[in-house]
Amino acid sequence: MKNIFVLGSAAALAFVMATPVAIAGETLDRVMATKTLTMSSDAEYPPQSFLNDNNEMDGFDVDVGKEIAKRMGVELKIVTPSWDIITGGSWGGRWDMSVGSMTPTKQRAKVLNFPAVYYYTPAAFAVHQDSKIASLDDLSGKTIGSCGGCTYDAYLNKDLVIDAEGAPAFDYLVEAGEIKTYETDTHAFDDLRLGDGTRLDAAFSALPTIQAAIEGGYPLKVIGKPAFYEPLSVATDKGDPAFDAKITAIVDAMKADGTLQKLSEKWYGVDLTAVQ
Amino acid sequence: MLDLARGNPWVSRATLFVFAAAALTAMGLGGTAVGNLFSPLLGAVGPEATPGLGRHLLVGLMLAGALVANLEIIRFLPFRLQVLLVWAELLLLFYGFVLSFDRDFGVIFAVGRSGVSNLYFLITTGAFTTLYVSLIAIAIACVLALIGALGKLSRNGAFYAVATFYISFFRGTPLLLQVVLIYTGFAQLGFVMEAVPAGITALALCYGAYMAEIFRAGIEGVPSGQREAAKALALPSDLIFRKIVFPQAMRLIVPPTGNQFIAMLKDSSLVSIVGVWELTKTAQVLGKRDFQVFEFLIAAAVIYWVMSVVFEVIQARIEGYYGKGNTR
Repeated sequence: MKNIFVLGSAAALAFVMATPVAIAGETLDRVMATKTLTMSSDAEYPPQSFLNDNNEMDGFDVDVGKEIAKRMGVELKIVTPSWDIITGGSWGGRWDMSVGSMTPTKQRAKVLNFPAVYYYTPAAFAVHQDSKIASLDDLSGKTIGSCGGCTYDAYLNKDLVIDAEGAPAFDYLVEAGEIKTYETDTHAFDDLRLGDGTRLDAAFSALPTIQAAIEGGYPLKVIGKPAFYEPLSVATDKGDPAFDAKITAIVDAMKADGTLQKLSEKWYGVDLTAVQ
Repeated sequence: MLDLARGNPWVSRATLFVFAAAALTAMGLGGTAVGNLFSPLLGAVGPEATPGLGRHLLVGLMLAGALVANLEIIRFLPFRLQVLLVWAELLLLFYGFVLSFDRDFGVIFAVGRSGVSNLYFLITTGAFTTLYVSLIAIAIACVLALIGALGKLSRNGAFYAVATFYISFFRGTPLLLQVVLIYTGFAQLGFVMEAVPAGITALALCYGAYMAEIFRAGIEGVPSGQREAAKALALPSDLIFRKIVFPQAMRLIVPPTGNQFIAMLKDSSLVSIVGVWELTKTAQVLGKRDFQVFEFLIAAAVIYWVMSVVFEVIQARIEGYYGKGNTR
């Protein structure tokens, strides 16, 4: 009986050792060989990325992804794993890049590379239309909702580190009484729309996302100036510097010839591609 | 009190009326749409007036009266008609509950530039994926469950250990974590699975573990006399299992397995975290387009429900097939 276990564990060990450890340096080769650039994106984050009324993925992030693929001369394919799966790294070659409005924080940089910052988004507080809150000062001690584990959550916890080049400095302007976190910040809007103070007094999210919700009929209003501007970057898996360099070059070119600014104006009405 | 009630049906009716009226009054329905229905009875009180205790009490009494009267009328109907009527009433209540949210449910049937309605997309993309992922997963889970059950009944120590380890681990950890472990964890070892196979694997492994216990109980539930009688007829042991024990075990296995499948239809929504567009995910994606998530979640709930009802019927048919030995 003992022998069976020894044999079994030896076989298991051999299986683990024999499998290739990681797919390294092959991303660019794979993209070029299959003529397909696979990008991960969130299908529930308008106007950055969503399913349009033609049942196709659309939005600012999707347009940026399409443009990158076009300049590589390949087709774009989109997959939609959850945010945690994307930021967890070790994509195993199932997708090549994330154009998902991701803030390049130090924690994330441990498992992902950030070859190109492509725009800066303002983070803003929203309250219910009926709310008496009029300024950021009034928000102190209130119950504020945001996405869990994201930069907004980190800001409310005064634990936000953005280590991207040229990230604008910011102050912690709000002392939240209670922080409620959700899978994604739009779920916080759902709780806020129930009524002023029903579950939340305010929500903290990207200004463009709040504005899209207001256009979608949510009874919200934006309070005060943006709390901070965060740089948002294309992300890639570790291990292929040639692919990263290619992404950097393409995004730089898109900035230089005005393509990126045009896409920003198309989706946000303003140019968010330069530091404010 | 029960004896009293049995002696005099009016006592039980009155008790029900008093309790229902008290509960409904305590709910304070005076200011709701239901309350406004009764407001003309109180004369000058308009819908915009702040409802007081009197109005809550009036609404409570009226609704409790309606409830008791309703039960009294139904009592005189034949059983099938009773069932149909109560189902219809409960469905109507559910419909009223959904309508009271005051959302724009027309969006579910709206047709976009793609030329198909949102409902069509929800069914062809979402419900279809949910169905085929669940069907493949339950098929694999049945095989795993049978192996697991045989392992747990085995006298071979290694087989028994592997089976109990498998059952213990997959019953003892959340399905959500199993999905992530299989999708991301295995990828780090170089064994890269796409989203759909990873999701099916996780569902099959998890449900196989639960169903192994169902299969084991089913096999053990066959009276030992059956096995002994077959042995006395000198049947080979594999034939005894296949032809004598297993068909009789199936009668005990089918109902809880049908239950598991219906649970899996809903649990398959967990595989959406790796990017599978099953019904819940598709509903959320469609809802986020125009920030009308709630409408689509209601639509998804109804579709899940309809699918479950269909499988309840199928389960009843299979039960009938394996139960035919027991009908006289």
